[in-house]
Amino acid sequence: MQEKTHTKTVHVLVLTGFGLNCDYETAYAFELAGAVATRVHINSLISGEHALKDYDILVFDGGFSWGDDHGAGVLEAVRMKSNLGPAILEFIDSGKLVLGICNGFQALVNLGLLPGFGGDYETRQVALTCNDCGSFRDDWVALLSNPDSPCVFTKGATQIELPIRHGEGKLYASPEVINQLANNGQVVLQYSTPNGELAEGRFPLNPNGSVHDIAGICDPTGRVFGLMPHPEAFNHWTNHPDWTRRKESMKRRGEPISSDLTPGVQILKNGVDFIKTGARS
Amino acid sequence: MPARYAKSANSHNTRGRAMAGGPARLEITLKPDLFDAEGAGICRKAADYFGLALESVRTVSILTIDSNLTPDQLEAIRTEIFTNPVAQTSSYKPLTVDFDWVLWVGCRPGVRDNPGSTAEEAVEDLLRIKLKPHEAIYTSKRYCLKGDRLSFDDADRIARELLANNLIQEWKVFSREDWDPETGVGIIIPKVRLDHKPTVTVIPIDSDETLMRVSKERGLALNPNDFPTIRSYFLGEDVVAQRQALGLSAPTDVELEYISQARSDHCNHNTFKGLFHYKDLDTGETQVVDNLFETCIEAPTLTIQKQKSWVVSVLWDNAGVGQFNDDYHYVITGETHNSPSNMEAYGGAITGIVGVYRDPMGTGKGSKLVMGMYGYCVGPRDYQGGLKPHLHPRRLLDGVIEGVRDGGNKSGIPTPYGHVWFHEGYIGKCLVFVTAIGLMPSRIKGEPTEQKTTSPGDLIVMCGGRVGKDGIHGVTASSESFSPHTPAGHVQIGDPYTQKKMHDFLLEARDQGLIAFLTDNGGGGLSSSVGESARFSNGCIVELEKVPLKYKGLDQWEIWVSESQERMTVAVKPEHWEQFAALSRRHAVESTVIGRYTDSGKLQITYDGETCASVDIDFMTSHFPQWTFDAEWTSPEKRGLVEPEFAELDDGSILLLDILARPNICSKEWIIRQYDHEVQGTSVIKPLVGRGRDVNSDAVAIRPVLESLQGLAATQALLPAYSQIDTYHMVACTIDEAVRRVVAVGGDPERIGGVDNFCWPTIQYDSVDNPDGKYKAAQLVRANWALRDICTAYGIPLLSGKDSMYVDGHLKGPDGKTHKVSALPTLQFSCTSVVPDITRCVTMDCKVAGDLVYVLGETKNELGASECYEHFGHVGLHVPELQPKSSMRLYQALSQAIQEELVASCHGIYRGGLGVHLALVAMAGGLGMDIDLSVVPRNEVEQDHVALYSESPGRFIVTINPEHREAFEAFFRTLPHACVGMVLNGTDLVVKGLEGNPVIHVPVSELKAAWKRPFANL
Repeated sequence: MQEKTHTKTVHVLVLTGFGLNCDYETAYAFELAGAVATRVHINSLISGEHALKDYDILVFDGGFSWGDDHGAGVLEAVRMKSNLGPAILEFIDSGKLVLGICNGFQALVNLGLLPGFGGDYETRQVALTCNDCGSFRDDWVALLSNPDSPCVFTKGATQIELPIRHGEGKLYASPEVINQLANNGQVVLQYSTPNGELAEGRFPLNPNGSVHDIAGICDPTGRVFGLMPHPEAFNHWTNHPDWTRRKESMKRRGEPISSDLTPGVQILKNGVDFIKTGARS
Repeated sequence: MPARYAKSANSHNTRGRAMAGGPARLEITLKPDLFDAEGAGICRKAADYFGLALESVRTVSILTIDSNLTPDQLEAIRTEIFTNPVAQTSSYKPLTVDFDWVLWVGCRPGVRDNPGSTAEEAVEDLLRIKLKPHEAIYTSKRYCLKGDRLSFDDADRIARELLANNLIQEWKVFSREDWDPETGVGIIIPKVRLDHKPTVTVIPIDSDETLMRVSKERGLALNPNDFPTIRSYFLGEDVVAQRQALGLSAPTDVELEYISQARSDHCNHNTFKGLFHYKDLDTGETQVVDNLFETCIEAPTLTIQKQKSWVVSVLWDNAGVGQFNDDYHYVITGETHNSPSNMEAYGGAITGIVGVYRDPMGTGKGSKLVMGMYGYCVGPRDYQGGLKPHLHPRRLLDGVIEGVRDGGNKSGIPTPYGHVWFHEGYIGKCLVFVTAIGLMPSRIKGEPTEQKTTSPGDLIVMCGGRVGKDGIHGVTASSESFSPHTPAGHVQIGDPYTQKKMHDFLLEARDQGLIAFLTDNGGGGLSSSVGESARFSNGCIVELEKVPLKYKGLDQWEIWVSESQERMTVAVKPEHWEQFAALSRRHAVESTVIGRYTDSGKLQITYDGETCASVDIDFMTSHFPQWTFDAEWTSPEKRGLVEPEFAELDDGSILLLDILARPNICSKEWIIRQYDHEVQGTSVIKPLVGRGRDVNSDAVAIRPVLESLQGLAATQALLPAYSQIDTYHMVACTIDEAVRRVVAVGGDPERIGGVDNFCWPTIQYDSVDNPDGKYKAAQLVRANWALRDICTAYGIPLLSGKDSMYVDGHLKGPDGKTHKVSALPTLQFSCTSVVPDITRCVTMDCKVAGDLVYVLGETKNELGASECYEHFGHVGLHVPELQPKSSMRLYQALSQAIQEELVASCHGIYRGGLGVHLALVAMAGGLGMDIDLSVVPRNEVEQDHVALYSESPGRFIVTINPEHREAFEAFFRTLPHACVGMVLNGTDLVVKGLEGNPVIHVPVSELKAAWKRPFANL
């Protein structure tokens, strides 16, 4: 990769170990997005072999950390908080980015990094609990992105399609918390119809029964972002379930197949660009 | 008042012990305003399965903490770990949750409790303490049932038939009167206490009779034919002298258990390596068939390996290896886990999938898992017959689905493909197929990754889980048919979390060049992994006391043969040990040196310095007599099979709708969507495709190396119904179906690898127990002949395979007597093929109105054992027969047309025939089709129903852009093909008959609704 001398190299830390399992593709997708991504074992971070401060984006990636026993993301949050709590708070405080995908989102809400009302990054106020359908579910969903959200990862996005793959993705919180999330623009992604209307709880458009169709939220700064869908699993246009149909119709229209970054990688690139351009200032 | 126990918790119940300083019981439940999805699922099943009306079920999770934690510590773990303040409430006193009945379900002692283990890990992490060896945390569940008309028997039935399996769990039922709000379910600690001093027992071998008695008593399943070999070995002069020097005399139980494991049919394939006296009873011709494995599997595969350079490593390792590209190889194997799943569906299936993943992991110096597949053969879901299987097929299927779901999803491996087959023959024993595909770099530090060896001086290292009593005699149990006496001890619960940690660790160790040899601990445990790996160095010495145990008190032989899961055996050079051990610690994986490899020619085992086994390394590979079988074939005609009289259809639309709704044809989306098929970000062709993303794809394709556009297509097929007529054609058509499936999505027909998984009823003749054993043996021989013939004709190397015999069950009937149920002889065939460029893959959904519809391949009068005949209660005679040579030419032509991007959709014609598969193509595209049967390429087909429902192999439905007509047809000039119609802008499937008569006219949406309806509520 050629690198322009004046742009900053963005270092992404992707967690591995203890049952996390989306580390390879998450690192790959971040590399497509222009970052240098490193897979780091949670224990290597705890032992100090790797230091959080050397990275710009911390990714709690998907998987089944500790088998998802005792609530998805719960034990990962316990381990991270009891061993790295202050370092993570410092990381956020220094203007860097934290992304939680699926199991990582579950860890973020259990750490209390989300919703992060008023800079409180330690109180649990949101739960991600068992899907109303009662089982793990793999499907692609349509998502509406909130243009008024401060989230740095979804800048410019309006509608996105991404895969979901989880058994515990139902976002639940008290009505006050939900209101506050909505009022602050912290509701980043919502499940929708393919035409861009809210799913309004209808299964399988809303695959888990999430309150308010919420699929992803951010903290008030927009720099901590958690979502149930998997942007890293849409890293190539052939990941999309309709790609053979789209390819055929484009071919008939004489149009070339788009080789642009996928919407999934674009989400990650927004984060990378935020660091690169120093947009935090 | 004591609770009414359905099953006593007996000595493990320590109710009444003081809470302070003793065990504590934490109850956790969802806040009342949260929907309890698990409870709702129980309500739904209780209504569907038993007709019981429940108002509600609320679930309470219980942690029983057997440790001396202080009140502050208990409070800390309650709030910081085990209670979500937003969604849950919890208490160390029984929670108040309204109920009419309470059910408590917990594990029996020694049953793997995964959440219990992770709870211990989290407690240690948070409190920064280390639990003592005798301390532990156990999980269990309390279900609060509401339903005012529910009786004790109803509640007990829900516990027994829905929530608990008495093989691994115990339960209690509490009425409102029984319930003491202070003590709740009690404090139940399912701790294993053996109070047993490990003992080596010497076994007298003075006569065959003694050996027979010992074999029976110990459940060894030794074959009496092997007795003379065993006895003469241990009584040989040299051996006696050598043993005396080590303090050994007659064989020890360690040695005999080892021999029993190694000689079991499961490990040694005695049946497939047997001598068959085959007789055709029609003609009287006889022939001797010596060793099906060598003649029908090994020889053809070795010949093909010589012709195809991409076949890297076959027939010796845990899995086969094929070249993916210059930098990577792929690795594949398939397994079955029938007997364990039959007894404990969830545990058997999760252990099966997690276990098969260790095969590619343990192939060469190790590979990363990239895909799993599944196949389930079970009794009808709505079975209402009088036979009483241990688990009703419905419950069994639920459990198997969930086991593979948790095993695959929690391993982070996509499970994109699979199938289910219902037939009453599987009530005796179900089949659970699990297939695993891995990926390895072709070289590690300059050395070929597929190669490995052990050398004298290498350390024997056991990694992963610990050893317990679980899994003892699993191998020998699966080598016998299921009976009420089958030991339950081999039922296990797989632990994907522990294994995933080990998987990540071993890959890193491999990449650092720290692994000399690697193999998994599956069937036979250490006895198998160490025994086999020691053949390379020609010897080993194992210090059994070093093996980490789950609990004390195991006998030496138990440590040696235990099949406790999630373990690998690794050979590590002494100079690499420090680095290996440090890496192991970082990954939180236990690794222990348990001995070293030698070149002594002996497998030697010691315990606390005393030798308890010494057996020649080459003893297992020689000396033993071949198993022999009588095989007698009677042709289907002589067996009385005839073609049924079949009047022409009155209403073709209704028949099509009916067949689409048959259990073996209809949609099983409910299973597919529970499996993560996109983790790793590699998904190219998904299991469900089309406009509604809900119709089954022919095969799946992944992009296992994310940086490359090269893909891997994979699929499976099975057609056991054809075994009713002739297993030769069953196998031929099964292989052909799997081949067509990978070709249909864009796989290269020149680079197809196969995996054969045989599941067969017992073939050893017995006038009482198995009167048709000779016929079943002939069926096996014919099946193997087809395997040899078709693989040779198609150029398919068998990258891996597995034979599971004894697919029979003995079930109680309504008459109180035991009835033997044998499954249909079944072959599952899995195929992989490299896809040169994934962007040229195609899916099976028709895409654009106005496209031309082609049928490729010839339709014949072949309705024998078809779905259509089955629908009308017939078997018939004319089983589909494959013409492999012309078929392969067609596939090559089609593959080229796909590579030239001339094909808009492609779909094979499989079970159910042209009618069903035209409907699926239309349903997936959400478009109508206009089809003229009279132009379909055919041979002796004179009736519409034959054209529509014949299951002749070798056929496809293809749709193309009309502009490509000429270019497309050019590929098929000398091959059977015809343009049979057009994709319509309309909504209906319209089929004209052979005489131009209207046969089918039905909205595609109606077809889809019929196809989706049967399992829509699951």
